[in-house]
Amino acid sequence: MIALEGVNKIFRLPHDRKTTLRQRFVSLLQRQTYEELYALRDINLKVDNGEFLGVIGKNGAGKSTLLKLIARVLEPTSGTISINGNIAPFLELGIGFQGDLTVKDNVFLYGALLGMSRQEIEGKYDWIIDFSRLERFVDAKLKNLSSGMQVRLGFSITVSVESPILLVDEVLAVGDMDFQQKCYNAFENFKKDGRTILFVSHDLNAIQTFCDRAILLENGEVKSQGEPDVVIAQYQENMELTKMVHT
Amino acid sequence: MSSYTETCKQRNPLGRRNYLYLTLVMAITDFKIKYDNSVLGYFWSLLKPLLMFGTLYLVFSVFVRWDVENYKLYLLLGIILWNFLAEVTLNSMVLLEGKASILKKIYFPRWIIVIASSLTSLLTLLLNIGVFFIFFVFSGAHFRISALLLAVYLVELYVLVVGVALLLCALYPKFRDIHHIWEVFVQLGFWATPIIYPILIVPEKYHTLIFLNPVARIIQGCREALIGPGSEFLGLTNHIIIISVATCLFVVGLGMFNKLSRSFAEDL
Repeated sequence: MIALEGVNKIFRLPHDRKTTLRQRFVSLLQRQTYEELYALRDINLKVDNGEFLGVIGKNGAGKSTLLKLIARVLEPTSGTISINGNIAPFLELGIGFQGDLTVKDNVFLYGALLGMSRQEIEGKYDWIIDFSRLERFVDAKLKNLSSGMQVRLGFSITVSVESPILLVDEVLAVGDMDFQQKCYNAFENFKKDGRTILFVSHDLNAIQTFCDRAILLENGEVKSQGEPDVVIAQYQENMELTKMVHT
Repeated sequence: MSSYTETCKQRNPLGRRNYLYLTLVMAITDFKIKYDNSVLGYFWSLLKPLLMFGTLYLVFSVFVRWDVENYKLYLLLGIILWNFLAEVTLNSMVLLEGKASILKKIYFPRWIIVIASSLTSLLTLLLNIGVFFIFFVFSGAHFRISALLLAVYLVELYVLVVGVALLLCALYPKFRDIHHIWEVFVQLGFWATPIIYPILIVPEKYHTLIFLNPVARIIQGCREALIGPGSEFLGLTNHIIIISVATCLFVVGLGMFNKLSRSFAEDL
């Protein structure tokens, strides 16, 4: 279960106009000035166990910030976030991969980063290699593999993590049709297993197919939430409106 | 202020062990990457202090002469221990920077990075101590029972150095100058600590000042334990002083680090 209460996130973007040496020294004495950016404003959100929640919104609406707050990568400026259960963050595939290490070493490194123990990884190792179809390359350096192979490896390790909560940010945007199909199959399985999933995507079809509920973020606020169809319709309506204003 | 309810930690009894495993994996990864693309590989970690030792030994035993028994061992031990301090403190800041992309995407306790980097250097230190003992045997020095105290001094040094590294890393993302400042400090410290010169050539009135530095006490203690002569720094008082300074630094370092590391994802 995930619960957010009155969560605000303000980013402070420091002004940086120190071009001359003199300005640099002067700025040492002055207090640095900031531009305050409300990335998220008063977010109240509850995600129940086993729920598949879709998050949609324009670029810069705060979708990724929301996931990062739940993943504990960022701290909220105010408000509380309570999480019950382990989280597997799929914010980017293969984060922390080391090109200079072998495929095998990378499986253990990435697995450990995602919170798995050595025994768990050893137990899953054969499955991971099999699923990513990299049997012949386990002792090759990762940097010599094609980017497609690296993505497959990242994905295979990620889906083998057995945590009750998954945070998914646009992972599906990469890869070919075949790969996307694999992702969707994995999603079906996650759903069957009753895992809680937060899914950020611009792929409205995927949101419609998988999600039990969706929320629409706009300028850091929850604009609407409820049935995916309804929320998506409102999102599209908003887009039409802004288009009309601009033309 | 914000707060996370930590229910997820309690629900996972294996959590702590997984962090331990992550620390080990990171340390091994760093060690592999560091020497992977070089021909001599791991030997560099041994060669570097030896080359430095060779140069300094040439200068200070041929050009200038100190009247120290077993100066070779005396010098080598000092260099090895000081190198460990320099490596851990400076590398941990570099590694923290290098791990920025991971920190922005995955949560794990941030101190893991510092501990992992210190373990990599600890391995180098132990290998170097091994080399030292080879020199020790060939120089015909006698093994004394007090040599066992070396282990105690190494533990003290490790705690002290990790404490400093945590403190530096805590400040680094917001205040990058600390890396340059510390580099200068390590340089100065090398000469302000009796590493290449014997403490006896320093006028008595400066001794208090020199031994304000706990590392000077550790290095001096190690030498007395292994090579002698003297036993001024083997006593309990010396250990109490070192341990209190080391513990203080460690506690302050860890506290600062835990506080400031919350915003690392934004600052790095």
